Amino acid sequence: MDAIKIQLPHTVQPRAENANDGAVSRTMQPIVTGTSVVAFKYKDGIMMAADTLASYGSLARFRSEKRLMAVGDNTLVGVSGDLSDFQYMQHVLEDLETRELCMDDDQTLGTKSVYKYISNIMYNRRTKVDPLWNSYVVAGLDHDEKFLGFVDLYGTRYQSPTIATGFGAHLAQPILRKRVEGREDEIEEEEALAILDDCMRVLFYRDARSFNKLRRAKVTAQGVEISEPYSLETNWDFAESIVGYGG
Amino acid sequence: MFLTRSEYDRGVNTFSPEGRLFQVEYAIEAIKLGSTAIGIRTSEGVVLAVEKRVTSPLLVADSIEKILEIDTHVACAMSGLTADSRTMIEHARIEAQNHTFNYDEPVPVESVTQSVCDLALRFGESTDGQQSTMSRPFGVALLIAGVDDRGPQLFHTDPSGTFWRYEAKAIGAGSEGAQTELQEQYHRGMSLEEAETLALKVLKQVMEEKLSSTNVQLAKVTEQTGFQIYTKDELEAVIGRL
Amino acid sequence: MDFAQFQQAPVSVPTEHHSHGNRWDPYVDNGGTSLAIAGEDFVVVASDTRQSNGYSINSRYSPKAFELSNGSVLATTGYHADALKLVEHIEQRAQLYFHKHDRAMNVSAMAQMLSGILYSKRFFPYYVFPILSGLDAKGKGAVYTYDPVGNMERVNYQAYGSASALVQPFLDSQVGFKNQRNADPSRLLERPQAVKLAIDAFTGATERDIHTGDWLDLFIIDQDGIHQTKRELKHD
Repeated sequence: MDAIKIQLPHTVQPRAENANDGAVSRTMQPIVTGTSVVAFKYKDGIMMAADTLASYGSLARFRSEKRLMAVGDNTLVGVSGDLSDFQYMQHVLEDLETRELCMDDDQTLGTKSVYKYISNIMYNRRTKVDPLWNSYVVAGLDHDEKFLGFVDLYGTRYQSPTIATGFGAHLAQPILRKRVEGREDEIEEEEALAILDDCMRVLFYRDARSFNKLRRAKVTAQGVEISEPYSLETNWDFAESIVGYGG
Repeated sequence: MFLTRSEYDRGVNTFSPEGRLFQVEYAIEAIKLGSTAIGIRTSEGVVLAVEKRVTSPLLVADSIEKILEIDTHVACAMSGLTADSRTMIEHARIEAQNHTFNYDEPVPVESVTQSVCDLALRFGESTDGQQSTMSRPFGVALLIAGVDDRGPQLFHTDPSGTFWRYEAKAIGAGSEGAQTELQEQYHRGMSLEEAETLALKVLKQVMEEKLSSTNVQLAKVTEQTGFQIYTKDELEAVIGRL
Repeated sequence: MDFAQFQQAPVSVPTEHHSHGNRWDPYVDNGGTSLAIAGEDFVVVASDTRQSNGYSINSRYSPKAFELSNGSVLATTGYHADALKLVEHIEQRAQLYFHKHDRAMNVSAMAQMLSGILYSKRFFPYYVFPILSGLDAKGKGAVYTYDPVGNMERVNYQAYGSASALVQPFLDSQVGFKNQRNADPSRLLERPQAVKLAIDAFTGATERDIHTGDWLDLFIIDQDGIHQTKRELKHD
């Protein structure tokens, strides 16, 4: 008789070599993923954008996923990486919000607190060698102070006036460094929107896992505002001149 | 006070309606049965002196040890149920060694004292309904002498887990008389040598037997030499000054 | 026990195994450089503030040298997330010490403690190369250096991090006088020279090391406390 084969969920797999040594490995790779998040400081607060695509490998699997979320009244969180891990984090953050609300003490969750909370979760999971396969961008405005921070699956964290995750770190960050760095307090909303769209357009042109349906969001003194999905104007005329494979 | 026994006599964790823990108070009483011990602090160091009750001519006097080293810079004299002090001193020595291991410096005198007192208060404690490891309070009081970066210090601890800092302190059977005497004779400008003589002088007054180099023990803790027990010769030299 | 396998084993030089199978590597190197130079009655500590990951610059200002509650400075390099956790760990212990013993820790006490903290994670180390600086009990400049698992040494100067191979030889020559005959290698620098050398070391390191640059956090520790300044390095 053949041995009974147990089908494990695809996120929990026995290690390839010595498959029957009893060891299971946790998330060793992201499965359903979101690509870049782009964010930067401008005059009134912080702008952020992410597209709505959830890829399954190279398959554009889900086309209207939300990768920007508000936590509390004045914190905006953007995510890239594994979206099931993000959904877990969403639950954790919603729990945090609920607990804070139930305190009923007129205190609200500050952006720095949300950031430290997420950072602690990320670092603790990496320390268990069972990481949440994400990069988080946390933005907010606490008492007129703009905050923009990053944390990834290693628990590595940093703050910067411009942040871009994934492919954005290579394609959008240079644009942001050129157009935003040193001008964080001058850039008007109109210009900020133009910069954001330019970054997202470049990403759409070059990142094969990107999608021309995206949301942008801003945190200002008025709170968090996340837009409905929209598309960018693109121009593929140059494609006509491309013949063959690099020939 | 002790004639009116009540049900509150027994439990170590039960307050009497007047707000007292009788077992702790009895433990403090037990110290008054012990041999007298004296500590005197001076700016040069601390002197410890204890009476040894040599109850039989066949008893080897040297085997009675009532002044012990906790670390090179901390010593301890005791009175009461001296067997109980073994646990406390073991604890203090470990605390001192751990401190040096972790921080590469001698443990502060007050910190070892505090840690011994924390231990003293753990009677009647148990975890998850298990048999508690210490069923009664310690029946011993300590005089902890030491020198650290805050200078020479003398502490007195009792079975209630409380400690006090003293310039001069007597504990044990003759403590009442000795303390009165210390109060009269002690002065802040006292030298270590004067403290040696005062300690033995006071001890001599409260001892039933005649004071000699066999029935007392004298020790000092100074910045320069750390803890030292006086040899027979050194002791006799001090006795000679009385 | 099967001893046969040992008898059959070929005689060879024992090698360390670094393979963890397909395990995800929980460490990253965030680059950057830190140095400290001790003087007779001061210490100069300097760290650049660039945080990078491979060829990417994460942030131009992400400090990796930290002022601690007992008046010392901990400069780090290596894996930034571990460095931040290490600082939290040290601060927590320092606070406990403060409350338990009613005094702030000496630098020497903290140095010994840090060694213990690092070694306690011997088999899952904090991937950090710490340099702890302050004034010792006699008021002399003290610099303690460590490897990630707690090996500790008190030195007069040290450079760690992505440009350490560039900066350490420079300090060996200019601070330790190791290249000069008949020079006293234990001679300590005066404060202006130490500061100048620290800055020069970083200007040079910024030119040659892509992971070092942006800003320089400079700390001067003396009897009056810690004086911190921020200087610009090249942003390229």
